[in-house]
Amino acid sequence: MTRRIRRLQQNGFFLAMPTIAWLFIFFVLPLLIVLVVSFMSRGRGGVAIMPLTLQHYERTFGVFFIILRRSIGLAGLTTIICLLVGYPLAFFISTRRRRLVQQITLFLVILPFWTNFLIRTYAWRILLGEQGTINGLLLSLGMINEPLSMLNTQFAVLVGLVYGFLPFLVLPIFASVERFNFRYVDAAQDLGANDARAFLRVVLPLTMPGVLAGCALVFIPSVGAFVTPDLLGGTKGLMIGNLINKQFGGSGNMPLGSALSIVMMAVVMLSLLIYVMAHRRERGA
Amino acid sequence: MSTYDVELKDIVKVFESGGARVRAVDRVSVEIEDGEFFALLGPSGCGKTTTLRLIAGFEQPTSGHILIRGRAMEGIPAYHRPVNTVFQDYALFPHLTVEQNIMFGLQMEGVDKKEARKRALEALEQVRLPGVGERMPHHLSGGQQQRVALARALVKQPAVLLLDEPLGALDLKLRKNMQFELKALQRDVGITFIYVTHDQEEAITMADRIAVMNEGLMLQVGTPKEIYEHPQTHFVADFIGETNFIPGALLQRGGDGFGQVKLADGTVIRAQLSHALDSAAKAVTVAVRPERIGIAAPSDRPAQEIDGLTALDAVLAGSQYIGTDTRYTLALGDEIELVARLQNVNNIDSAAFQAGQRVKVYWDESSTTVLDQ
Repeated sequence: MTRRIRRLQQNGFFLAMPTIAWLFIFFVLPLLIVLVVSFMSRGRGGVAIMPLTLQHYERTFGVFFIILRRSIGLAGLTTIICLLVGYPLAFFISTRRRRLVQQITLFLVILPFWTNFLIRTYAWRILLGEQGTINGLLLSLGMINEPLSMLNTQFAVLVGLVYGFLPFLVLPIFASVERFNFRYVDAAQDLGANDARAFLRVVLPLTMPGVLAGCALVFIPSVGAFVTPDLLGGTKGLMIGNLINKQFGGSGNMPLGSALSIVMMAVVMLSLLIYVMAHRRERGA
Repeated sequence: MSTYDVELKDIVKVFESGGARVRAVDRVSVEIEDGEFFALLGPSGCGKTTTLRLIAGFEQPTSGHILIRGRAMEGIPAYHRPVNTVFQDYALFPHLTVEQNIMFGLQMEGVDKKEARKRALEALEQVRLPGVGERMPHHLSGGQQQRVALARALVKQPAVLLLDEPLGALDLKLRKNMQFELKALQRDVGITFIYVTHDQEEAITMADRIAVMNEGLMLQVGTPKEIYEHPQTHFVADFIGETNFIPGALLQRGGDGFGQVKLADGTVIRAQLSHALDSAAKAVTVAVRPERIGIAAPSDRPAQEIDGLTALDAVLAGSQYIGTDTRYTLALGDEIELVARLQNVNNIDSAAFQAGQRVKVYWDESSTTVLDQ
């Protein structure tokens, strides 16, 4: 019996072959192509031609750096706001004694997923527009005299991103708090910690895995978002995702788009690395 | 100024769950003295842990007052009370080292890190677990974790240490050792211990006084000897140790605390009345511990002539050898069955009594208690 298991373990590589082949053909190979293209020159119609050049990376960190920085900034801000809103919400949901209340609130968090993301983002255009719902309400209440211009700003993008990604943060934190043994809070208070200190010294560190996972799940897709900034940000809220998207269109620049993609991936990888290291420190402590 | 460390005055705690109101603690009043080892004993769900949590401040009483060192505890949160708790599952912080766990409480008081570390190491010495400060709690055995939990609470030098079934998760041998150690530790530090347990033997061997609880009520408070030898209620007599319950009718109450009880077979015996006995009670139960019952051959007449001794005729129904003792089952008439335990001393032949043989059973009147039925 054990010998058979051992043989299966040795044969694990062969069992994984289809997956490995799949990943190689549809992930590693395209990635290598993108990497190579990012060092090539732009030809007619935006295609990649020889010779090799570094100019796209120069432009990425030159004229387009402001957009890269804005993307990281907006994604970071989105993560922080999601955390400030999402942690208390997740905490509230997971500490409900009544099962029904917990299930209903959890259901409400997941409910938006039932509608297409594009439609939900369009809905924000209606809410935030000059003649939109929010302006209409504020005007009729006499709180403002002329409509606020909220649409096509970075603010609108931020609202859209927070709205879109909040559930991704709430769910892992919910799972973390759900597993948390509240006897530790009793112990902390017994030892003289008030509510705030019990939270900071005991609850937060012990729910950190959920916090970190949630942050990664919000930050990474936020950096590369292009639907939200496209619909809500206009030119002022342009993010790196939009820029990349454009380069592969009609009058685009494939090598530049590839270089932007590589840099964006590097940013994401770096943040993932930080996540992994923070996680390891949590566990190793 | 009160001389008591902890006073509970008419404490009631009602829990509401799904529309039902449960009285977890019901009109409990007790005074616990400074430096006392006080055990709260009872079956699970009797309200002993709730009582402990009320003292610790994790729960607020529905009514009644709690005083610690003469100070009323109303509105004082757990983190400002001069008590510390050793939890049943230890509740050691899993993300902190042993040392950091012990330092936690001191740092909350504002003790600086260097001093806190020094005192944490001393506390580890005190619970005889030096050299594990750098380890994580989950790398320690259950017994070691238990000691860390103890050190973490003791390092705060509380007025009262609350222990919630601290030995419950340990195996039997370790538990026995820890019982002695805990008792010795308590004597050394002189801190009042309030010790929750469902193990009657543990309570009897460790505590200065025991409070027996059932269904939220504190049925009896007394020294282990008082509780064991003079249980005041049927529940206490039954919960602690083995007891013979003989039904009977109370004929007469004497002024000396004794009464005449007529047993089912018609014999009338003299027995000691419980303080908690209902003043109108007619149908009663006489409780006698098995080891208080002696057996003699029917020819042994002198037994009856000794003052204060009850002697009855019985038939030996069976015997069971259990090592240190032999356990005899005896029939008094058709209605009453008694159990007697006799120690196996080497000059007495346990085979001297045979099943079916007529014998004389006897006990001292003061070994009995007349309880409500």
